[in-house]
Amino acid sequence: MKKFIATAAIVLAGFSVTAQAQQADLDALLKKVQDGTLNEEAAHKQREAEFRANQAQQQNLLNAERRTTAQLERESARLEEQRRVNEQEITNQLEIQRNRLGQLQELFGVLQQAAGDARAVISGSHVTIDNPNRMDPINVLVAKAADDAQLPTIEDIEAWPAQMLLEMIGSGQIKTFQHEVGRNDGNKEVIDLTRIGDFGLVGNGRYYTLTNNGDVQELARQPSGRFTGTVDGFQSASSGDIVGLGLDPTRGQLLNIEVEKATLEDHLANGGPIGYITLGLGAIGVLLAVIQWLYLFVVGGKVRSQIRKDEANTNNPLGRVLAVYESNKNVDVETLELKLDEAILKETPALERFLTVVKLISAVAPLFGLLGTVTGMIQTFQAITLFGAGDPQAMAGGISAALITTVEGLVVAIPTLLLHSFVSGSSKSIIHVLEEQSAGIIAVHAEKEGANA
Amino acid sequence: MLSEALNAIRAFMEQGGEILFLLLGVTFIMWVLIVERLWYFSLEYRKQKSRVVEAWESRRERRSWYAHKIRTAMISEVNHDLNKSVNLIKTLVALCPLIGLLGTVTGMIEVFAVLGNTGSSSARAMADGVSKATIPTMSGMVAALSGLFLSTYIERRAKRESERLEDSLTMDH
Repeated sequence: MKKFIATAAIVLAGFSVTAQAQQADLDALLKKVQDGTLNEEAAHKQREAEFRANQAQQQNLLNAERRTTAQLERESARLEEQRRVNEQEITNQLEIQRNRLGQLQELFGVLQQAAGDARAVISGSHVTIDNPNRMDPINVLVAKAADDAQLPTIEDIEAWPAQMLLEMIGSGQIKTFQHEVGRNDGNKEVIDLTRIGDFGLVGNGRYYTLTNNGDVQELARQPSGRFTGTVDGFQSASSGDIVGLGLDPTRGQLLNIEVEKATLEDHLANGGPIGYITLGLGAIGVLLAVIQWLYLFVVGGKVRSQIRKDEANTNNPLGRVLAVYESNKNVDVETLELKLDEAILKETPALERFLTVVKLISAVAPLFGLLGTVTGMIQTFQAITLFGAGDPQAMAGGISAALITTVEGLVVAIPTLLLHSFVSGSSKSIIHVLEEQSAGIIAVHAEKEGANA
Repeated sequence: MLSEALNAIRAFMEQGGEILFLLLGVTFIMWVLIVERLWYFSLEYRKQKSRVVEAWESRRERRSWYAHKIRTAMISEVNHDLNKSVNLIKTLVALCPLIGLLGTVTGMIEVFAVLGNTGSSSARAMADGVSKATIPTMSGMVAALSGLFLSTYIERRAKRESERLEDSLTMDH
């Protein structure tokens, strides 16, 4: 308790010392504020006096400004009137122009339209490549025909039939010239380019296309060698020769479709893992079927030669069955039959090897294809759920990719089914010989021996 | 007249796409095998049958186990000849619709690829794919049907001939 009071006393003493110091600071601040108020009052009074002295001058300035405003407003009204009069004049003049142009008005309208059409034709034409600067006169004509303020001169108008004539002549000629082309790797090079009328561009064994801004660009994917192979012969032919050339009569549309066509790799990639599994199964099936077919071919040959021979050779199934008879010549026929059946049973598995696997693959492959197609369809329809059916392009691409696995399934099923039919045919004919004819062959041998004995 | 027909066939093949040539090959092989079978039944088989029956009749005895087995072997040999390529014909008949389906699916892929590339459902752009999608299935069906009747007939004929032969090789002499 004592200790607590002592501590409290010490704390109180400390607090009072601090309070004394703060009191001194506040007094100083108060004094400062009071001094400041006095100073400000003096300044205000001085400023008021100044304003009163200047009041007359301010009034003068205000009056002057008011006069100026009134003057400017008068000027504005005058100009407004002027503008109205001018507008009326323009309308009158336009009316006069229209009256004087008369039928020519329609003529210039037609001219403008025709020149616009000609400009579109010329800007997209292959003829423009080796005839640069032919756009300028047409552009001038179109600009003047569209402008109310000036009329095209007779020289301007003559540019149009001249360019159309050039277009006609150019689209009928085959011309080779040096020109800069863009390659697919991004570089540019100057080559001997051959323009075939307005149909297309070839050179250097490749096909080229005209881009929208007038540059010549190598086709992103060249058509098959059947077509590109004709280019060099065509370029090196002399005048008068008749040579073949793969030409796109639609001015590049067919070639562009060729570019967009999916290649075999694209199709395989579209098939996805299920497609690869199907093709892998198909490869295994075909391999097994071919191995078994070759084996059966060899065995079948040996069996046929065994039928003609008297003594049993153990290198073939029939020989091994006959050998069982030769080592059991003295047993009764029932025991012999059992022993023969046993020997035949031993031979059949090797002859029927792989057949079930091949049959299974040929049955499973279309199912795998269906599986891949259905999963692809599910993905497509999920995409439709997310993004809506507004984009037929995305949808059609998905369906096209999904169908690839069905194709792969059928491509596997058809050859495996055919091979299975071949292999099981030759396997059955050998088993047939073993099961139904071996006893007969033995009987013939036995009768011969009996006759000889 | 003939050249008109040839042109019609050529136009048909071009519309249907390359797969029709595969179908043509398969159908051709199928019909060669069918005609060979019919020829065999009507000419070859009679000679073979009379040869076998004569060989059996000229035997001294026809009751022992040996005779029995020799008879089975004879029938089996004839059976083998009778049923030769029957299974192959049946497989080829089954293959025809499959090949048609293959052509249809590749045609559909073409249709949808055109749709995907151009974004338009213009019938003219898709016409090539559409005809490739429809013609092979029809051709496959027709080819299969043309073979189906005769393959069934050949199978039944082989069975019947084999049973008749068995009946004519009598044992009770």
